[in-house]
Amino acid sequence: MLELQGINVSYGDLQALWDMAITVAEGEIVALIGSNGAGKSTLLKTIAGGLKPKAGTVTFDGVRLDMLSSHEIVRAGVALVPEGRRLFPEMTVLENLEMGAFVERARKLKKESLGRMFELFPILENRLKQSAGTLSGGEQQMLAIARALMSRPRLIMLDEMSLGLAPIAVKSIYDTLIRIRRATKITILVVEQNVRYALKVADRGYIIENGRVVGHGSATVLTNSDDVKRAYLAVG
Amino acid sequence: MMSNALIWRWGSEQVKTFLQILSYGLMSGALYGLIALGLSLVFGVMSYLNVAHGALIILGAYLSFWLYQLWGIDPFPSILLVFPLFFALGLLLFKGLFAALMKFSEGDKIKNSLLISFGILLILPNTIILSWTPDERAVTTFYSGAVVDLLGWRLPYTGLATVALAVAVIAALHVFLTRTYFGKSIRAVSQDFEAAGYMGINVPRTYMVSFALGVALASIPGAIVALQGINPDLAFALPNKELIVVILAGVGSINGLLGAGLLLGLVEAMGVFFLGAAYREAVGLLLFVLFLVYRPQGLVGRKT
Repeated sequence: MLELQGINVSYGDLQALWDMAITVAEGEIVALIGSNGAGKSTLLKTIAGGLKPKAGTVTFDGVRLDMLSSHEIVRAGVALVPEGRRLFPEMTVLENLEMGAFVERARKLKKESLGRMFELFPILENRLKQSAGTLSGGEQQMLAIARALMSRPRLIMLDEMSLGLAPIAVKSIYDTLIRIRRATKITILVVEQNVRYALKVADRGYIIENGRVVGHGSATVLTNSDDVKRAYLAVG
Repeated sequence: MMSNALIWRWGSEQVKTFLQILSYGLMSGALYGLIALGLSLVFGVMSYLNVAHGALIILGAYLSFWLYQLWGIDPFPSILLVFPLFFALGLLLFKGLFAALMKFSEGDKIKNSLLISFGILLILPNTIILSWTPDERAVTTFYSGAVVDLLGWRLPYTGLATVALAVAVIAALHVFLTRTYFGKSIRAVSQDFEAAGYMGINVPRTYMVSFALGVALASIPGAIVALQGINPDLAFALPNKELIVVILAGVGSINGLLGAGLLLGLVEAMGVFFLGAAYREAVGLLLFVLFLVYRPQGLVGRKT
């Protein structure tokens, strides 16, 4: 479904990604794991059109995403929950959700989508008129996910969801993610520093270090790999 | 009205003058709100500081003047013609001069848009002088100079119309920005353009339309200025007032503009009453400095 080949990305003279190749099959949950600054978020931004690769291709169902701008990529069915949530802080919860459904295809389904979001995140329904900036961290993360889902994506990418959240909030968000996947068969690509959680929900994972893919495999294989245990799970 | 009448009968001549100057202050204030409107919208959405906004207002005033001169079209309805014309002009200016700044950081957007618009500010008044001479012009209609007289309290029709227009236009813009999908997307872009792009909002197009709307809004105060009298030099006087009102309202705040304009108009009027007409500009600038020191976020501005 999603295929990246030979992706090179630079910030000015500083190259952040080197010859990256990643595939995600329909219905999969794939986790990108690696330490801070390894290039995971850069990769998601590149897929979402926020950064343009210097070389390489990003293909989504035969469409070259690297040739499109961000808003066209959303139209193609890919949504990003950016790192740090990036809500519109002075807009209400409802307005944030509406912005998620901006593309025409999603706008027609807005009512139905809203109903689904209230099922997944009941707390949001009680906060509709509140401005997004006044929500708690966990609520903001839920809103950020719901906002991305409002565009009716076939692939959703989640960047560092657990950052700055209490463990209980992280668990509840991951539980919801699993429920979403069961209900919708949506394809999910997560970037996560909390490797334990990421590998618990994911089918497969890629290990990224210094802008390169240094390993990949099924979540079970990665969880039991000594390298991963030592580097990311702090055991052994 | 009753209480006013009482003051009139028993009040001193001073109270009467005070109220008269106060109401003139409020009427100028409504105009100040209108002249800052387009500038504030554009700056709030895309951090472009268009100092040529005042020059565009004057150009709008000249168009109003000529529409009246040639075809007898009253300045108020002429807005309906100049507004779409200015919208198109805004699209052209954006495509030709301002679109390239979109990729810059916020600071560079401000600096470069300032340079470009300053260029326009230098060119426009000179073009006006070459085309129509530097003579002072004014539209004189049947209601010019006419007043509503309430027991000696004189309120000019034009001033009253300015207040009504300012309230209506700012309310309409508020409704557009909070009730329509496109208006909401403009707010989303102004709060986080990168995230807005990830939501499927076409950010370059939103910039372009907002810029054009900002230019089109210059047509509204333009019509009123045409009634008061225009000359090309006003293009350099207006940016001052615009910037003061934008800061008073709070950068990027549309809702605060009317209040900020009225406040500036009132304070200027007080200055005229207590200190004399020569101090009108000075007290306005003093208010500006006080806001910068004690309330830099403005009347209802964003907390930063």
